[in-house]
Amino acid sequence: MIDVQLQKSLKAATGDLYLDVEFKIRRGELITLYGKSGAGKTSIFRMIAGLLDPDKGRIDVDEFVWLDTEKKINLPPQRRKIGFVFQEYALFPNMTVLENLRFARGKQSDDLFIKDLIDIVDLGDLQNRKPDTLSGGQKQRVALARALVQKPEILMLDEPLSALDYEIRNKLQVYILQVHKEFDLTTILISHDISEIIKMSDYLIELDRGMIIRQGIPAEVLTNHNISGKFQFVGEILTIKRQDFIFIITVLIGKEIIKVVADEDEGKKLSICDKVLIASKAFNPIIHKID
Amino acid sequence: MNTINGKIVSVESNGELSLVRMVSTGLKFTSIVIDTQETAAYLKPENPVKIIFKENEVILANGPDCSISLQNKMPGKIVKVESDKLLSKLVVKTPVGNITSIITTNAVKQLDLHLGKNIVAMVKTNEIMLSE
Repeated sequence: MIDVQLQKSLKAATGDLYLDVEFKIRRGELITLYGKSGAGKTSIFRMIAGLLDPDKGRIDVDEFVWLDTEKKINLPPQRRKIGFVFQEYALFPNMTVLENLRFARGKQSDDLFIKDLIDIVDLGDLQNRKPDTLSGGQKQRVALARALVQKPEILMLDEPLSALDYEIRNKLQVYILQVHKEFDLTTILISHDISEIIKMSDYLIELDRGMIIRQGIPAEVLTNHNISGKFQFVGEILTIKRQDFIFIITVLIGKEIIKVVADEDEGKKLSICDKVLIASKAFNPIIHKID
Repeated sequence: MNTINGKIVSVESNGELSLVRMVSTGLKFTSIVIDTQETAAYLKPENPVKIIFKENEVILANGPDCSISLQNKMPGKIVKVESDKLLSKLVVKTPVGNITSIITTNAVKQLDLHLGKNIVAMVKTNEIMLSE
């Protein structure tokens, strides 16, 4: 169990911000911090990592105290057993994939463990290549392996996939979930992508101006209600066209484009770029095998 | 979307499916869902429930005594008719509130649906979604 209580005055792009949060993360859980920019997500990350000091707070990880401002305890980042992945890959360009991983390992891991990691994220054929010769998705796999080289207990991912295109993002989500389970990690993700959040996380914390405004099971928090229709997707509105007494709404779901009919009153409340939940009963769609 | 506030009367489950019987202002409703009490805790007798169905799924019939498989019947009076080239929108005042139906303009003509007429709005059991 990770118990986090943090308070800090921050200067955000949107003005002064007082961050005041308290939450618990169960071991082995993958939680997502979600909210607009300037909500305080990255500051919380930096404080958990020990890269930013709160004005007041406590961080307990199982029986260990990482931070207690009252008792003036504040473990330095290198003693906090955290692995990081950011949107930028931050790999050393003059080293090969293998050398990048070896450089990061410290005393905790040997070549055998590095080999295991390379296998898990499928970097076997690429281990002697330099980062410049890799694609974005491949570089992010190296960054993910590197974050795990020191055998962290907590994996922190700050929008790791937002620069990648849809298909690569999908594959990396699978790799992240795999290492999260395989290494029994507790993972904290920052993400804006609703389908990614629903797919990956066990728990969601939504922040606004330094406060937690909602938290819970992602699908329930993000859709506000638990509806019985089993044919459900989250997507983004591309176009809205009015015809007779209905609106024909085009929605992008993943990389597929679908159309859905909405009533007048519902249609009037929707606008382009809105995130929407589409729900239908499982009895309606037909299923057709593709050869 | 039509939403009616109802109360669960009984939940009959078999495997993953449940037939949920509900009541709202004296009218009976049934819905079949791929959920049981294990997967959706609110599926218990006496619990409040939202009965949800789309306007396009609302069937209109003349007269209440037609023998038909539809389980959800709401008698009422037409209080609004708007017709366009292909589709028409009708609002029916029923004991459970105003129900909106979108049907073809052809059907409106064939059934002679007009303001003030008494009709029955119906919905199939598998078209009703439930929410807490």
